[in-house]
Amino acid sequence: MSRTRGVLALLVLCALGIAAVGATAATANKSAPTKLTVWVGWSARELSVFKKVTAEYDKAHPNVTVDVLGGINDDKIVAAIRAGNAPDVASSFNSYDVGIYCGTGGWIDLSSKLKSSGIPSSTFPAATNYYTQFGGKKCALPLLADDYGLYYNKNLFKTAGIAGPPKTIAELTADAKKLTKFNPDGSIKVLGFDPFVGFYENTPERWVTAWGANWLDSSNKSILAKQPGWSNWMKWLKSYINWIGYKKLVKYQAGLGDEFSASNAFEVGKVAMNYDGEWRVAFIQAEHPNLNYGTAPMPVANPKLYGSGYINGTIIGIPKNGKHEAEAWDLVKYLTTNTHALAELSNGLRNVPSTQKSLTSSELTPDAHFATFLRIFGNKYSSTSPITAAGVSYTNAVQNFATKWQAGKVSNLSSGLAKLDSQLDAMVKQAGGGGVP
Amino acid sequence: MSPWLVGFSVFFAYPLVMSAYLSFNHYDLLSSPRWVGLANYRYLFTVDPQVWTTVKNTLWLIAVMVPLQVVFAYGIAMLLARAKSGVGVLRTIFYLPALAPPVAATLGFVFILNPATGPVNTILAHLGIQGPLWFQDPAWSKPSLTLLGLWGVGNTMVIFLAAVLDVPRHLYESAELDGAGPLQRLRWVTLPTTSPVILFAVILGVIQGLQYFTQAYVAAGVASGQASQAGDVTAGTLGYPLDSTLVYPVLLFQHGFTDFQMGYASAMAMLLLAVSFGVISIILINSRRWVHYGGAAR
Amino acid sequence: MTAAATTATFARRRLPAAVRRRRFLLAVANHAVLIGFAIAFLAPFLFIALTALMTNNQALSPDLWPHPFRWRNFVDVWTKAPLWRWMLNTLEYSVLGTLGVVVSSVPVAYALARLRWRGRQAMFLVVLVALMLPPQVTVVPLYVMWAKFHPFGFNFIGTLWPVILPNWFGDAFSIFLLRQFFLTIPEEYLDAARVDGCSELRILGTVVVRLAKPAIVAIALFSFLYTFNDFFLPLLYTGEAPHHWVLSIGLSQFRSLHQVQWNLTMAATLLVMVPVVVIFFLAQKAFVEGVTLTGVKG
Repeated sequence: MSRTRGVLALLVLCALGIAAVGATAATANKSAPTKLTVWVGWSARELSVFKKVTAEYDKAHPNVTVDVLGGINDDKIVAAIRAGNAPDVASSFNSYDVGIYCGTGGWIDLSSKLKSSGIPSSTFPAATNYYTQFGGKKCALPLLADDYGLYYNKNLFKTAGIAGPPKTIAELTADAKKLTKFNPDGSIKVLGFDPFVGFYENTPERWVTAWGANWLDSSNKSILAKQPGWSNWMKWLKSYINWIGYKKLVKYQAGLGDEFSASNAFEVGKVAMNYDGEWRVAFIQAEHPNLNYGTAPMPVANPKLYGSGYINGTIIGIPKNGKHEAEAWDLVKYLTTNTHALAELSNGLRNVPSTQKSLTSSELTPDAHFATFLRIFGNKYSSTSPITAAGVSYTNAVQNFATKWQAGKVSNLSSGLAKLDSQLDAMVKQAGGGGVP
Repeated sequence: MSPWLVGFSVFFAYPLVMSAYLSFNHYDLLSSPRWVGLANYRYLFTVDPQVWTTVKNTLWLIAVMVPLQVVFAYGIAMLLARAKSGVGVLRTIFYLPALAPPVAATLGFVFILNPATGPVNTILAHLGIQGPLWFQDPAWSKPSLTLLGLWGVGNTMVIFLAAVLDVPRHLYESAELDGAGPLQRLRWVTLPTTSPVILFAVILGVIQGLQYFTQAYVAAGVASGQASQAGDVTAGTLGYPLDSTLVYPVLLFQHGFTDFQMGYASAMAMLLLAVSFGVISIILINSRRWVHYGGAAR
Repeated sequence: MTAAATTATFARRRLPAAVRRRRFLLAVANHAVLIGFAIAFLAPFLFIALTALMTNNQALSPDLWPHPFRWRNFVDVWTKAPLWRWMLNTLEYSVLGTLGVVVSSVPVAYALARLRWRGRQAMFLVVLVALMLPPQVTVVPLYVMWAKFHPFGFNFIGTLWPVILPNWFGDAFSIFLLRQFFLTIPEEYLDAARVDGCSELRILGTVVVRLAKPAIVAIALFSFLYTFNDFFLPLLYTGEAPHHWVLSIGLSQFRSLHQVQWNLTMAATLLVMVPVVVIFFLAQKAFVEGVTLTGVKG
């Protein structure tokens, strides 16, 4: 049998050899420009906007070539870092996993680099500073920001005899009921508003800002049960769903098109109002330029909160063990602080520019729909969700509870929320290392 | 033998030991493992709100889907064995779905069973029946996966068909002489003679049930329709709807390879190991009572 | 073939008219049920194909029949997604994996079945255990192993090698199947070869391989099918490396990757099913024999 073994060993070695040669050949040539791999979440039309900006950078920097890979999410970034395959620069659509990136050191701390480059934290708006650091480490920078508001279909509003966008939750409910039309068999024909947690951009963190509810106390313990905003939101959610009928809603929703396609339910008039991010302005411009719609801040439960909304944003950072840290930092610095780059990205993607300077840049092309979101971004009551060591699992657990509640699977709301609180605390502890401090 | 021994040690024995070791550690692949004693197990058994849901879901599949698959495959095999024409064509038709790649089959089923636009509910509506919400309803999602499982039952069916056709004719003839009707012949001749093959199918089904992953993972991601911004199956959509398709291997995958809590995932693996051993031993011990090996034991 | 024999047996005997009529009606009922199920088994393929020919808007409506037929979908699929790339990756995994399974499993199975050595029974038990345990039990340490092992600075994670290489060190299922088959080869054949002065390796390479051809073809087919359809392991190791995705991963991410619609998704689904179906029709006999082998020998 020794011959078989020899052949086997040879085959394996050959395979390894070929692969290894391929791997080293790619990095051997020193005179060629440094290749910087950049991972971003954008895809399709949005990706080409981003690539246009990196191409400009490419042109101005002959020593590097920027290689952009789109369609990336947090799961992929986390996996690549663990496996030692991370790109030189990584960008995520949201900040949920900042606690993981900073906490584990998966993304390097940028504090010293910011200092030596002379970039004070006041360069960026306060909210974005919060969601780009964790545990005393600044491991990410904001690359455009997102906030959320109400999109409403003006034609459908006119038909239903509604003058303007709702400003309070009570108005939202009343308008939604007016706008909802049923088929003769009782199924939904047009939906005024889809309240389902899990539908498109509907997540708990975006909703509770309308009730002004908080997440954590001063010692970072979860206080969902103690904040009346949480249970009030959920009770409203339930009563509105009950008015339509849970099963009818599920069925209707199953027939709606993908969020990020031209069949988006709001864009084709299947829902009259929708809770969505500022980027939708650009999607509508590209996919349904004739849609007669308006944008407004999200209706609120407490009138003084009107005009505020949930803020989050795309972040960018440098995964550890990268081979081109200096070049990577230069690119990150350019993308996150260069007013021209941010303005161009903002114009193409219709995302909120993420430095104080670029927010008022003259390069920004004005757009009435988009201006709403710039105002929400500047509102003092606008807020974001907590950054914890558990990363996205934290908000996922809350969302999980909310979907159970909306399906009628939670019998006692207040004890359910209290249990969720202790689960969330245990989860953070477990993620930080099995209860050992 | 020796290459296999190498492979066995590297790819099986070592990981098994390592898995046990890691289950007592906190390990995120970035820093070195840190001993945490029983903390992972404590979290597993007393805190993690999803573990028991996944155990229930996995057991549901083993207790409902697997027996249904076996009975259904056996039924089709019996019918095919008695058929007099078209056996070849029919056998091919029943076998074909078993070849369909599970991801493709799952995608197809989620679309076909879409409550709003899928053909099944459309046809049911024409017949005046209000179809269920299938993959969108926690009460129907596992039955929908079961339908998918029944569709792909071809392998088992072919095995049963061969076994049923292999039953010696003289056994039937003597049973007939004793005045046994069709049902009695099934009970006293066909079933006992084919019992080793049934046992084989049951064990295989249970093993596959314990590691059931692909269909649940894909169905949840697609049915949720919540293409996230980056647009694919993410932790938030696993188990959709309402954790009803969150089976144990999916949760293990999530903790191990999206949260990268390698120590905790190892603790989950140890529990799976214990349960697998338990379930398989129970079947093997009980099988002595109803499996009849003809002639000498193999 | 056995079915034909059965028919012959029935024809030979003259039966009373009443009995014959009852038998005839039973056969009709039998066929009716079978054909009903056969239609149900074919329906998903039909619905997938019809949707694959619809326009985007139509796929989002309850319509059943495409209007107009949009054949372009099958062209668009190739431009929307790197199907060729995925196909090549899949073949890399399937071909290299299958080759490895065959080359490595045959000698081990032979040693387990035919050679006398200490610990043989124990080893067989180990194979059985390895066969029954879910892969999830060892998956965490294996991943860690590949993540930490960087010969020549080559990183295995993000490539298909971690799923291909283990196949070259024996596959438990194939070893088990082959061993059972080897046991049925009469010892006299082997002894005759031994008398002629053949080494055990020669015997294995000539006599055994020739006699066991059906079993070897069967395990090759199964390995090919398994690797072609595999989702869990490639997802684990190449999930974040789209250049190395196999078809099943690509398909699972297809719909969300480029905001692709149901009609194109179903077209891709159909295309992914095609290769296995073609292989099936090319090697139908070997398939059915192989499947039967698993059951009867088990």
